Amino acid sequence: MSGAGGQAVIDNIVSKLSVAARRRFGEAVLVENIAVATLGASNRTLLFDLVEGTSRRRLVLRQETVKSEFSPFISTRDQYRILKVVYGHGLLIPEPVFELEAIDDLDNGFVVACVEGETLPKTLLTDPNLETARKRFAAQSGEFLARLHAIDPAEVAFLETTPDSIDPLQAQIDRYEGYGHCYPGLEVGIRWLENNRPADAQRKFIHGEYRNGNVILGPEGIKAVLDWECAHIGSAMEEFGWLCMRSWRYGQLDKPVAGFGPRSELYSAYEANGGETVDEEAVRWWEIFATFRWAVINMMQIDGHMSGVRRSLPFACCGRNIAMVEYDMLMAIKGDYS
Amino acid sequence: MSQDNPDIQEILTTVKEFAEGVAGRSSGAERYDALCAAFLMGVLQRELNLGGQQDDDQLAALRGLLSEQSEQGGSAGLDLTEVELTEMALPELYQVFSKNVREGRYDHDWQSAFDFAFKQVVDKVKVTNPEHLEVEHRES
Repeated sequence: MSGAGGQAVIDNIVSKLSVAARRRFGEAVLVENIAVATLGASNRTLLFDLVEGTSRRRLVLRQETVKSEFSPFISTRDQYRILKVVYGHGLLIPEPVFELEAIDDLDNGFVVACVEGETLPKTLLTDPNLETARKRFAAQSGEFLARLHAIDPAEVAFLETTPDSIDPLQAQIDRYEGYGHCYPGLEVGIRWLENNRPADAQRKFIHGEYRNGNVILGPEGIKAVLDWECAHIGSAMEEFGWLCMRSWRYGQLDKPVAGFGPRSELYSAYEANGGETVDEEAVRWWEIFATFRWAVINMMQIDGHMSGVRRSLPFACCGRNIAMVEYDMLMAIKGDYS
Repeated sequence: MSQDNPDIQEILTTVKEFAEGVAGRSSGAERYDALCAAFLMGVLQRELNLGGQQDDDQLAALRGLLSEQSEQGGSAGLDLTEVELTEMALPELYQVFSKNVREGRYDHDWQSAFDFAFKQVVDKVKVTNPEHLEVEHRES
């Protein structure tokens, strides 16, 4: 966000955030050192220091920005409930600090602890300081996902009613049709997905958007897993399909695990840490499904641009980028991509 | 179309060069926006060069495909006459094709439907970002 209008919006948020912080931590606290994370697509993310006397803590405000009946994201209220459950299990995520309430007048959202590290995908794949982290990523991801999938879905039973928990393919088709634009390539892909569904799998609590770009890395490896807005109940194989789809490899095409490493390291670590046996044929279906889902997310972005709700140059590009996702999808169906 | 210089291609090239220049001397969100602007100028340039011929080719291919389907009749057939097919514009034909794919009317002739959709997608990527294509599809 830039320009005088954007600055006015930020100033207004900071003013209300200061009041919200004082309401929870006492009249003496201050909100300082504001920074706007500019590359978030589905949430507004603001970093700030919470100052109490001589102590200073870096926190992150996440506010909901996508409001559409076709939104693929669960509510920030449910996201916050998830964060508390996952944090309680000791997994690597930012500590949940507080949830916004109506009295805060800051819309829907929450505040979590800031975890220092790097998130930009291309930097993660090229920064010399992250060489060790890159080598460990596939195995660490396997371990993280095994521990996540071991959480009893009953602890997040509120997710059972989200469309993605009920029928993930139909959920995407409904969103796709909601945007009312016809893509022959995607139509062929949808038909293939319908005709080749994998057998029913064990139902697990899954992150739903685990990939390069939604993790914070430090020199030693994964420091935190972010962006829980697509969490739902489903097949563990769906998680691998999303993680390994071509778009997240950022040019490192010979390293299917998000451009970091081989599938074998991911799957071995997953199974060694108590995860179920990986069904590679099912993962292939989920990977093709993932391309369809990614195309639908791009439709959401171009819809936001075209409708005037969230006009931006990157969102305008998303509309044309769908063709590349369609290409990847059809190449995978042909068997030319893995 | 104006006879005067700069022509459309030159205007696009000029604006694209400007956006690339802004990207080169800025950072953060401004750099990203400038790169996006330059990218979109490139898309526009390629669409002007390729779009007309691609539309003509797709129109012919789709009319041929749907006309073949009409002749088959039965559950796989279309309820469209040859005249109706000829009068339909490309976006309408995409809709007809898509509806028939989704309803399973190409399940028995999957390769024909797949080949048309794949060619249409390759055409689009040639406009969006030809470098994304495998080499054998860049010149196809």
